[in-house]
Amino acid sequence: MRIILDATGGDTPDVNLKGAIDALLAYEDITVVLAGPQDQLLDAINQMEATTRDRIGKRMEVLDAPEIITTDEHPVMALRQRPRSPFVLAANQLRNHEADAFVSAGSTGAFMASGLFYARCVPGVARPALGAMIPVPGRPLLLVDSGANVDCKPEWLHQFALMGSIYMKEVQQVSAPQVGLLNIGVEEVKGNELTQAVYKLLREEKQIVFAGNIEARDAIAGSCDVLVADGFAGNILIKNIEGTTSVLFGLIKKGLMSSLAGKIGALLCRGAFRNIKRSFDSSEVGGAPLLGVGGVMIKAHGNADAKTITSAIRQARTMVTADVVGKIRAGTAHEA
Amino acid sequence: MQIEHLLQLAADQLGVPVESITMESRWKEDLGADSASIMLMIMDMEDATGVTFDDEAITGMQTVGDAVAYLEAHMA
Repeated sequence: MRIILDATGGDTPDVNLKGAIDALLAYEDITVVLAGPQDQLLDAINQMEATTRDRIGKRMEVLDAPEIITTDEHPVMALRQRPRSPFVLAANQLRNHEADAFVSAGSTGAFMASGLFYARCVPGVARPALGAMIPVPGRPLLLVDSGANVDCKPEWLHQFALMGSIYMKEVQQVSAPQVGLLNIGVEEVKGNELTQAVYKLLREEKQIVFAGNIEARDAIAGSCDVLVADGFAGNILIKNIEGTTSVLFGLIKKGLMSSLAGKIGALLCRGAFRNIKRSFDSSEVGGAPLLGVGGVMIKAHGNADAKTITSAIRQARTMVTADVVGKIRAGTAHEA
Repeated sequence: MQIEHLLQLAADQLGVPVESITMESRWKEDLGADSASIMLMIMDMEDATGVTFDDEAITGMQTVGDAVAYLEAHMA
């Protein structure tokens, strides 16, 4: 199994090599192809400990991709101007079946555009969707789409529901994922023209278990396993969750540290706080799958550490092993 | 490369009957294309002809005729 890793991606690109090494040591059935400037990568590999090199053997390769795309560039134009960037080279390899998966912590825009324009959608899928795992304690939630498509047609959201359901079955081992539709009320008639049309499509879809409309306040309360949204609303929801969580934890910390009694209380509760923090630990999750393209693509967070990169590679390996792409192709075949 | 073949590429990408496409058809208003589907179609045309559209041509392209004229002008 060949997994291409964008060795230049993320805020601290050095973590990519460390994450790749840990993944190679953990899984003997994968080859990790580091995509980036060849000379730099070979230097870094040569500095690895000999024992580690021996254990990895020939399962670490280098794909020379000297052209870099940063997060502040127009993604599509940057891809066209730099065909030797990790994004274009990796997506082309997926399209040509020369690689099975691509993992990147780099530019989200370039990542999504490379999937749509170079890896291309599987037949029957109109647009790829970015799934985001929200670590809801006890019932992980997949939000799809979390930002790839800001303007959507009803049929696209119908496909997002199918793809999200397949992902949760095959990767998260949820036997019958409940699929909810993000809306501003639970009744069928609520929402805008888009959500009302999508509701009708999902209600009739036999391949999924439709849980109806879900309001944003119930989304992280364990109401469903897959939450379908257009990328505009989905992105607002996920950023709101991130922001609210951050502010809330900050307020709790500030409140506890403002008095001696609070500090003693915090000390007594630190085990509980640690457990809560662990349950929201995104480094265990890996990254966001770009569903619907002709290969496995995982977008890790820009501030990913080595553990997150290893998790994203593991996630890619799971998706390839479970043939998620093939199952999405089969699940949407009637729409081709 | 025949013009009919280029029109078929556009029809396939946009999911419209090829008979509905004329040189005067506007990509967005008449054929319902969005910016992503226009770019996909441009890349299909590039693969088929070997011609690369420059950035200005892409942003200024309003009608089917604009694309065909660009390709005809740049094909060897």
